[in-house]
Amino acid sequence: MRGLKVAVMSFAHTHALGYMTSLAAMPGVEVRGSDPDGTSTGESVGELRGRALADALGVGYADTFEELLAWGPDAVVITSENARHRKLVELAAAAGAHILCEKPLATTWEDGLAMREAAATAGVMLMVAFPVRFASAFTRLRSAYRAGALGHLITVRGANNGMLPRSRDWFADPVLSGGGALIDHVVHIADMVDDLIDSEPVSVTAITNRTLHAQRAGAETAGLVNITYENGVIAAIDCSWSKPDTSPVWGGLTLHVAGTGGTVEVDFFGPAAHGISSETGLPIESRYGPNFDDAMLDTFIDAVRSGRHAQPDVHVGLRTLSIVLAAQESVRTGRTVPVVREPAATSS
Amino acid sequence: MTQHPPRIGLVGAGGIARAHLPNLLRLGDVFVYSEEGAPELVAAYGGVVVHSLDELLARVDVVDVVVPTFAHAEIVRAALAAGKPVISEKPLALTDADASDLVARAEHAGIPLYPAHVVRFFPEYVRLKQAVDSGLLGDLAVLRLSRSGAFPTRAAWYADHALSGGIIMDQMIHDLDMARWLAGEVVRVSAVTAGIPDADNPVQAAHVLLTHASGAISQVSGLWGPQHLAFTTEYSVTGTLGCLSHSSAAERNYRSDLAASEAVDGLLPRIDPAEDPYYLELREYLGAILGGQVPRVSAADGAIAVAIANAALKSLETGQPTDLPVLSEVLA
Repeated sequence: MRGLKVAVMSFAHTHALGYMTSLAAMPGVEVRGSDPDGTSTGESVGELRGRALADALGVGYADTFEELLAWGPDAVVITSENARHRKLVELAAAAGAHILCEKPLATTWEDGLAMREAAATAGVMLMVAFPVRFASAFTRLRSAYRAGALGHLITVRGANNGMLPRSRDWFADPVLSGGGALIDHVVHIADMVDDLIDSEPVSVTAITNRTLHAQRAGAETAGLVNITYENGVIAAIDCSWSKPDTSPVWGGLTLHVAGTGGTVEVDFFGPAAHGISSETGLPIESRYGPNFDDAMLDTFIDAVRSGRHAQPDVHVGLRTLSIVLAAQESVRTGRTVPVVREPAATSS
Repeated sequence: MTQHPPRIGLVGAGGIARAHLPNLLRLGDVFVYSEEGAPELVAAYGGVVVHSLDELLARVDVVDVVVPTFAHAEIVRAALAAGKPVISEKPLALTDADASDLVARAEHAGIPLYPAHVVRFFPEYVRLKQAVDSGLLGDLAVLRLSRSGAFPTRAAWYADHALSGGIIMDQMIHDLDMARWLAGEVVRVSAVTAGIPDADNPVQAAHVLLTHASGAISQVSGLWGPQHLAFTTEYSVTGTLGCLSHSSAAERNYRSDLAASEAVDGLLPRIDPAEDPYYLELREYLGAILGGQVPRVSAADGAIAVAIANAALKSLETGQPTDLPVLSEVLA
């Protein structure tokens, strides 16, 4: 097995740290990153950007994306600001690399379709980074559902709540992020519902506000979304950045699924040892459990090596994006909005 | 009012009567009238069976209406016409017109009318209300409230949308009322629903989104699941200064692992008999009727809860959110 070259384009998203760490630990994988727009905001590893972060993680670095792609990577992981995904996907595809793109796929429908086109034209795989569906608890839920234990599934209720991201300001800047809590946190749950029920979203209703972090956020910080699917399943998602700044953990993700056979609840980040710090009085929540990123990256790297198509692919990325865009339109119009279907490809 | 213990008339002998009657017996003498089931109910708990509504109204000081939903308005109207203070199960009525008519009649006659929104008496919700009112959570931003249990198959009328209003009007009205109690008036409502109307194993679910006048947003979720499903509730409320959440499945002071399993009740929530919310509710209402403090639920609260539920039902019909008229119009 020859060594695999994996390039990481941009460290704007905090997930770049985890991905580079996991990739660097994989046997037979060489990692090199580039973050030409990044400026460190402090000394901690979470605040480092650019070459300083690459050095801290012990991975290679290139000063420009051109130099990085000239290295000839087999695969590229894109962890830029959401609005810059398209440009980097187009660069990576043109360089012939398979791509894992951070979620959400894009911030506009036009960008999402252009990215699908770029990957198809270059004949490369475009996978979207939805790590939570790789959790063993989700595999168990999917198995239970497919074995018929849930019976006829009718409803999903999900909450993906987090803190307002602090070390990366762009999350709350709609120009770079494509919005607020809706675009950040609807897609993980939408991805898992997509995988579970294999049915197209039909209509979306969403309500939001900016009551939390009103001074810091340029977009909605709380959001609630109802989705109806073609097969009649309904889903309700709370995507709010509603974890207080003082929380001992970033947030979490829960899923409640119900059908004629009963219910399953999954608390993806739930297992933890709990305590209290006598110094600060704040709660201690020491979480444990497998790293979902590792399982996702294994799948991506296996797919690159084997040439097999991996899920979640660009079509899942587009379907989840279509829900977010409908939710944003619902908020703008106060209406329930039909979800735009992915059009047939014009090439490939 | 009187020197003797209050004479309470219970109209109806269905499922919720079993939560009311034992508590009413702690508060006064109880007379039960029901088209069916009164002798069995009284045999199980106590009280006196009477054989007509007129006889009941002639013999009691207060009426507690626990008939099926579709009959609430008629019985409440009769009790008010007889000059009797009324406690009515929720929903106060099925239609906005009936609900506001009952409020108006009670108001004009100066007779108390209290809708039994019992969740306001459950201790975990009382804690939440206290946290909100004391400012502990700051300005409310986002609320999630959910309620799950078995599909009520004990009486056929629950499954008939025209008679019960379905899961939104029957079950979710508790959390619709709670959301409004916590975050204030509701200005826009939308809903989605899904279900399998299987005769042997029906299930129904709905999600309702509320926009409050304050700007706060609420998600209310209801599930009538398969028959084995235990009754559970959850809430998660976040404001500018903090958050509070609760899961009835997680918070327990008693866990057992017995060879002979204890019965699971999928229809009513698990309650602590030493702090029975139905008792606290009936005691507060009866106390108010006997001249005590104004209770935490008003007739208008009941009518507005019905209006929110009907706005959700209208949203299901139109496929679009429903704007809720301002309070005064709801009660016009």
